[in-house]
Amino acid sequence: MILTITLNPTLDKFYWVDHLPLSLERAEEEILIRARKSSASAGGKGINVSIFLACMGVETVAMGFLAGHTGQIILRDLLEKGVTANFVWIEGENRTNVTIIEKGKEYHPVKIHEEGPRIPSHAQEIFLRKYRRMLKRTEYVVLAGAIPPGIPETVYEELTREAKGAGVKVVIHAGRRPLWEAVKVGPFFVKPDVREELMVGDMPVRTEEEIIAAGKRAVEYGCQACLISHHVTGDVLITPEGIWEYEAKVPLTAFKNLVGADDALVGGVLYRLTQGDQLTEAVRFGMAAAVASAEIEPKMCLSPAVIEHEMRTVEVQFKEGP
Amino acid sequence: MKARDLMRRDLTSVEPDTLIYEVVYLMEQSGLSTLPVVDEEGKLVGIITEHDLIHAALPEYFDMLHSISFLPNLNQIQKRLKEMAFKPVSEYMKEVTSVHLDDEDLHIADLLIRKRLKQIPVVDSEGHLVGVIRRIDILSRLIR
Repeated sequence: MILTITLNPTLDKFYWVDHLPLSLERAEEEILIRARKSSASAGGKGINVSIFLACMGVETVAMGFLAGHTGQIILRDLLEKGVTANFVWIEGENRTNVTIIEKGKEYHPVKIHEEGPRIPSHAQEIFLRKYRRMLKRTEYVVLAGAIPPGIPETVYEELTREAKGAGVKVVIHAGRRPLWEAVKVGPFFVKPDVREELMVGDMPVRTEEEIIAAGKRAVEYGCQACLISHHVTGDVLITPEGIWEYEAKVPLTAFKNLVGADDALVGGVLYRLTQGDQLTEAVRFGMAAAVASAEIEPKMCLSPAVIEHEMRTVEVQFKEGP
Repeated sequence: MKARDLMRRDLTSVEPDTLIYEVVYLMEQSGLSTLPVVDEEGKLVGIITEHDLIHAALPEYFDMLHSISFLPNLNQIQKRLKEMAFKPVSEYMKEVTSVHLDDEDLHIADLLIRKRLKQIPVVDSEGHLVGVIRRIDILSRLIR
C-alpha cells in the first residue's frame, strides 16, 4: 500500500478562457472574463499522486487535514476515484487553488493559490497518531506539497524519521526548506519542486551542472534517487549508481495543462516500482505519464495504454557513473 | 455485488481513549453521525453514534417514557453532556457488527435492515477498518 500525505489539500479550479486581459484599457472599466470551460477536482500533490495510483489499480491511502464545505467536496472526489481517505477534520475551510489557462498560452497558466487553514496543535497530534498507525501497513509514503499555517517547516523531516524507523520507503515531493530538511534524513526518492525558486537547499539549480551538484548532495545524505527538472520536458536523475538524463521529444505547443503533470510523474514512478521495474525504467514511465498529462485538459492522464504509447517520446541517456 | 465494491473508502474514526467532546467535534466537522472506533493497529473494536451520545445524556427514566416533553428545558441533558465531555469513547461505544470485503450485498442489506443500522464498517481479514457501507450506498446502487 502507498500512503500519501497532503497537509494542505486544495480544491483545484480550472478556467479555460479565449483571452486573458491583464490590464485595463480604460480606468473606469472592470475586467470581465468569460470562461469557455471550467472544472474542479480534489488536489494537492499527495492527493494527485493517490488519484493517479488508484486509477492504476494500486492500493493507496490519502492523509492530511480536511475542513469545511471544500473539505467535503475534496473527500467526495477522492472516494469516487477509489482513493482510501484517512483525514483529520479541523475547523475552517480548505483552500481553493485557481488556474486560468488562456488559449494559445497553455504552457503559461495564471495561478492563484490560497494559503489554507491554520492547523491547531491538537489536530497535529491526532494526525501523527494516525500516521504512525498507517505506517505499519505501508510500503511507500509520499510526503508532498505545501506546508499549511501552524505546522513547522521541519515537519517532513520528522515524518521521514518516523517512516524510516518503521521500515517504510519515503518519497519527498516538495520544495524549499521542508524538502531540504527531509533530504538530510535520507529519504528513498526526492522530486524537488523548483517552480517558485530555482534552488534545492542552498544550491541553485539553473544549469545542468548545478542540478547534478544538488542531486549529488542529496545522494550524499543517503537518498537513493533525486529527480530534478531541468526544463519543462527534461529531467535529470541522480543516484548512487550514476546519472541519467531524460528528455521528452514533445513541442511545448502540444501542452494543454501543466498542472498535475509532476504529480503524475511521481505516481508513475511509484506505480512501476510496485510492478517490479528498475528505477531508471520507472522514471521513464513517470516522464511519459507527465507528458501525457500535460497534453490533455484534465489534470492527469489516467490511461496506462496512452502513457505506454507516450513512452516512445521519452529518451534516456546515461550521463556518468558513480 | 461484494462489500469491496459498495464501500466508501473513508477511514474517519476515533480511538477508545478519544474524549467525547472530541467525538462531537469530529461528528460536527465531518458531517458523520456514526464513527468506527479502532485500536492502535487500526483494527475495529467498536462503534459510537450520535444516538449513543444522546441516549447516554438522557435521564434514566427516558426508556420508560420514550419522550423528553416532560422536561422544562434541556439544562439537565446539557449538564450530563458536560459531565460526559472528558470521558473516553470506550465508556460509551458499542459492540460493532461488521462485514468482510468479500461479503455479498444481500447479507449486508439483511444486517442493515435487521439490526436497524445506518452504516456498517468493512474490515479486512486481519480486522483492520478498510471502509464503511451506508444504507444510502445500497439504496442508490439499487435504484440506478
